[in-house]
Amino acid sequence: MAEHLFVISVLLYATGALLALCFFKWQKAGNFISLVFAAIASCFSITTAVILLSNGATVRLNFSLYHAIIKYNFLLDPVSSYFILAISSISFVAAIYSIGYTRLYINKRDTRFLGFLYNLFLVSMLLVVTANNALVFMIVWELMTIVSFFLVIYEHENPANMKAGFIYIIMAHIGSALLAVAFFIMFAHVGTWDFGFDDFRKVGGRMPEVYKNVVFFLVIIGFGIKAGIFPLHLWLPMAHPAAPTNVSMVMSGVMIKTAIYGFIRFYFEFLSPCPPWWGVVILIIGATSALLGILYALVEKDIKTLLAYSSIENNGLIIICIGLSMIFKSYNLIALSSLAMIAGLYHLVNHAVFKSLLFGCAGNVYYATHTKNIDDLGGLIKRMQITAPLFLVGVLSISAIPPLNGFVSEWFVFQSLLNGFTMPSVIIKIITIICGAVVALTGALVATCFVKAFGISFLAMPRTEHAKHAKEVPVVMYVSMGLLAVLCVFMGLFPAKIMMTVNHVNTHVLGIDIVNSLTSYDWLQMKIVRTNFTQLSPKSAFVFGLILLGITFGALTLIRPGFARKFYETWTCGRSPEPRLEYTATAFTRPFKTVFANLYRPQREVSMVYTVPKFFVKSISYVSEVSPIFEKYFYGPVSQFVLDISNKVRWVHTGSIHIYLTYIFITLIILIIFVGK
Amino acid sequence: MTSNIILPILQLIVIVGFSPLVKGFINKIEARLQSRRGASIFQPYYNLVKLLQKDAVVSETSSWIFRATPYVTFVSILIISLIVPVLSVKVPLNFTGDIILIIYLFALARFFLVLSSLDTGSAFGGMGGSREMMVSSMAEPAMILSLFAVALTADSTNLSNITNTLLNDSILLLNPSLLLAFAALGVVIIAEAGRIPVDNPYTHLELTMIHEGMLLEFSGRYLALAEWASSMKLLVLLTILVNIFLPWGIADGLAFSGLIIAFALYVVKIGFFAFVIVIVEMSFAKLRLFRIPNLLGTAFILSILAIISLYVVR
Repeated sequence: MAEHLFVISVLLYATGALLALCFFKWQKAGNFISLVFAAIASCFSITTAVILLSNGATVRLNFSLYHAIIKYNFLLDPVSSYFILAISSISFVAAIYSIGYTRLYINKRDTRFLGFLYNLFLVSMLLVVTANNALVFMIVWELMTIVSFFLVIYEHENPANMKAGFIYIIMAHIGSALLAVAFFIMFAHVGTWDFGFDDFRKVGGRMPEVYKNVVFFLVIIGFGIKAGIFPLHLWLPMAHPAAPTNVSMVMSGVMIKTAIYGFIRFYFEFLSPCPPWWGVVILIIGATSALLGILYALVEKDIKTLLAYSSIENNGLIIICIGLSMIFKSYNLIALSSLAMIAGLYHLVNHAVFKSLLFGCAGNVYYATHTKNIDDLGGLIKRMQITAPLFLVGVLSISAIPPLNGFVSEWFVFQSLLNGFTMPSVIIKIITIICGAVVALTGALVATCFVKAFGISFLAMPRTEHAKHAKEVPVVMYVSMGLLAVLCVFMGLFPAKIMMTVNHVNTHVLGIDIVNSLTSYDWLQMKIVRTNFTQLSPKSAFVFGLILLGITFGALTLIRPGFARKFYETWTCGRSPEPRLEYTATAFTRPFKTVFANLYRPQREVSMVYTVPKFFVKSISYVSEVSPIFEKYFYGPVSQFVLDISNKVRWVHTGSIHIYLTYIFITLIILIIFVGK
Repeated sequence: MTSNIILPILQLIVIVGFSPLVKGFINKIEARLQSRRGASIFQPYYNLVKLLQKDAVVSETSSWIFRATPYVTFVSILIISLIVPVLSVKVPLNFTGDIILIIYLFALARFFLVLSSLDTGSAFGGMGGSREMMVSSMAEPAMILSLFAVALTADSTNLSNITNTLLNDSILLLNPSLLLAFAALGVVIIAEAGRIPVDNPYTHLELTMIHEGMLLEFSGRYLALAEWASSMKLLVLLTILVNIFLPWGIADGLAFSGLIIAFALYVVKIGFFAFVIVIVEMSFAKLRLFRIPNLLGTAFILSILAIISLYVVR
């Protein structure tokens, strides 16, 4: 049953993609049909995942082609199903959202091509998380990369987008190459020829330590590039903003999560058992990415770049949980390992939901104002009365404010970090607690970053004409985002329900079912969540909050029944209020630039033009920049080195065909010698 | 069943009812120490009563966020006051959450307050909001970690359990890690409550204000709620400090006599810490804005050391 639904879903995506191309003349129709197909297809795959997760079943799909070298095997186990659920839920919403958003491009660009790529992109992610064969995996992984590359450069006349796409494709391919090497090293120890993941699952105990470590690092870098971990993040804050918003929504929401999927497959299945220090490495990488990601997001003015950096931060948090889970597992503390895994997977789906919501709303803002610069916005809450609350929900979720979903996963992250005290090694304990400190600092900075994002762009008065004439976006765009906002609230108020789902994944990966020890009923007859330390019932807190609000309001009304409000302009020391007096995003984060000056190395330049020298200022220009230290000290030297090397080997390319024939001849001889041995 | 009703009401009365008194007390003592007569100790109540009877003037530029903020702030602190043990180890909403929920409810209150400060479009509000976020993003991690040090000592993140454990096993309080955590939490409370040397609660001068800058545009009922919430926040923070580190005398049930003794001791303890705040405010000038991260960084390091020493001692 489930497998049929899955195949139908894949076929629908493919049909949607092809139909989009068929409409030569009616691009609008082609795009629309492809998106409708995508939406329907994702419904099918959601159903698949729900069916599979409800009973924790595993389904195999084997397509045997005649004399095929590659065995097209797919596996839908609970891990895959969980990722399918996350991917297709976001795909569904994104497809509906795109129906509205792509109106931006109609009659300007080839939207049927967009529809084609979009469907391929969505289906490639589904295939990545289900592939059960290394070769198939590499093919679909590559498909995902290339399709997303084309989507990134969809607005290709902008040189910045081309550069972003270029960097993305290069980095992604370095990642793929490393993964391929990892697969080959493992393949050498498998002993069979079909590259099946099932064989790889048995290889962990057999491989020599050295090779395992090599594979470990290859996988960190290979998937780490996709996950955007520091310092391999370079492409992410460039590519995500460059892509059309409906694409960046999916890229940030779920595509980068396929890297997490890779981590889980490799470290919990293929390479297991792992030594504790692997987990520590992952933990440290996660913590670094989380902190640096948010620090860069904080000073960002472009709303989409800001969200992209914040994706790095959130992926960092998930990676922290994966690392913790690995450490616990290697010390055989399986229940705690499962707790950390719940934290990670919970946060994964939370991030998928609220990041898509935020990107969607940023897209709405772009649709209405044609600008992505926060400093040019303002006052949108009165002009976009539906988008504003939706964005607020996303902002509150991502800042882990109760009662929304981000809080629950943050709570789990803290609980699993706290349980680090059960580890035998003092060093690792201390590292966990330092990571706890980093997570705490990150959490506080996230709140600042998103107060800024919401406050500056939606509140007060519009700063430019763009913002002044903004109008609410088409219905599909906010309805689809409304779905996500509802999900945010639901997953925040009823965490036990989500945990049941995560539990199947844990039972499959770690072989332990801890949810029954984690949940119980409170006296509102709803499940509450508890750990060794404590318990949490966000919904009860919410209910009591509402009760207290009612009491407060009632009491105040009793004190003064005819309470009235008078509206008057803001007091600005005698001037009439104007947008220039408002705080900007730059000003808002100015204290942070000073506090973290070591990281940002801010460069400011103030120049004044005088009418009468030194007395009457005509105009002041202020330029403030954050130096990109990773580009400067890491990527700069590396790319310079590569360029130098390529310059040096240029003399090999003489252009003369005789010399080339000689090369071929020499290669042949060397090969014969090797084979002869 | 009666306990389910009495206890929350009792806690609300103590926190909501007495929080302006704490503020009045601090102001009065401070005035006396500065050889002024100072306003009456009940002045904050008079202010609140006056404000609550007034209509409000609201900025045209502002949106519903501005009008919702005072309620959100007030109610989130109210919820916290039901999760914190005050007079008894038993806590009304014990099952709803723990110190992490408390910290993030503070974050909820702050989040809306900062949004509303941006909402009016005045530069003062934005300035206050920006500074508040800077201070709190340094203070929050220190607070989380110092509470974690306590939580790891008591094997629970639930405040009721923490108080209970430390009450029954008071020798734990001599643990060096708890002393460090105490120091860190003390600094954090001064920062979070917006007292000198981090913030000056008495002024609306743009050079010094942080918290007051955000309240600048509120009036009438809204201002009353925001002011009340800020004094409740101070009392809740002090209560957390007192009941974790000096839990003696807190009632372990709901017996009337126990509660009376607990209340008397609670008043003494809170009074003592209020006095300490006065002494601190008297002895220090307000720090320059960019010195504050150093102070809070120290608290942060202290709290990390608290946990590390806990691990090493164990």
